[in-house]
Amino acid sequence: MSETAEVVGTEQDEVENQATEEAAEDTDAGNEDDLLVQEGDIAGDYLERLLDILDFDGDIDLDVEAGRAIVSIDGGEDLDKLVGPRGSALEALQELTRLAVQQETGSRSRLMLDVAGWRAGRREELRELGRSTAESVVSSGERVRLQPMSPFERKVVHDAVATVDGVTSESEGEEPKRRVVVLPSS
Amino acid sequence: MSFLADSLEHLVRGIVDNPDDVRVELVTTRRGRTLEVHVHPDDLGKVIGRGGRTATALRTVMGAIGGRGVRVDVIDTDR
Repeated sequence: MSETAEVVGTEQDEVENQATEEAAEDTDAGNEDDLLVQEGDIAGDYLERLLDILDFDGDIDLDVEAGRAIVSIDGGEDLDKLVGPRGSALEALQELTRLAVQQETGSRSRLMLDVAGWRAGRREELRELGRSTAESVVSSGERVRLQPMSPFERKVVHDAVATVDGVTSESEGEEPKRRVVVLPSS
Repeated sequence: MSFLADSLEHLVRGIVDNPDDVRVELVTTRRGRTLEVHVHPDDLGKVIGRGGRTATALRTVMGAIGGRGVRVDVIDTDR
């Protein structure tokens, strides 16, 4: 039980840290970009070797976007295994890849891993969900609780809700059952 | 099934200070398959992670590629 609580704590801290780090990183872009390119290279090597061992077909694409390294793997159907149910394997592999990068650079990585376009597709679905939920809350005046989601998924929904006037959103509950609640703004 | 042990060995080697000390063995019993991860004692904390987070991530990835019933045990080489 205490183990669960600790995991929850670190997840929440991470999401909060991300917001403040993002703000800080916008100011010094130059050297930051070099480090992010290096992060991508290390991550690419780590993941490429994994694909080799598994004999999975996949092309690894590296990018830097909004102050973080983005690593995308696209290719054959085998890659769906690396996404897993509701992206669980993808989140786990991202976590390990960040640790592998940190092991070499000595500093914490916030790199984002996508596999088989899962995040891109999921993000679009969640944006739509956030917007349509926000609009229904505006017209009904009643709060709506969404299904439990990962920190990544919740962030996309919060951002989408924020684009609609007259509503606000917050998260409630404990991981892995933490969920977004959309409510009329007072 | 050695790709399971090989892939786990690779994933663990990338996140520890003593990659040469990492060894993964696939042990099959009547109760199923277990991947035993042996690491340098100094790296035990890294492989387990805060609140067991890293070990959980390793289990999730191995479960996804190896199917149900693949256990992952982290073992300190001193033992």
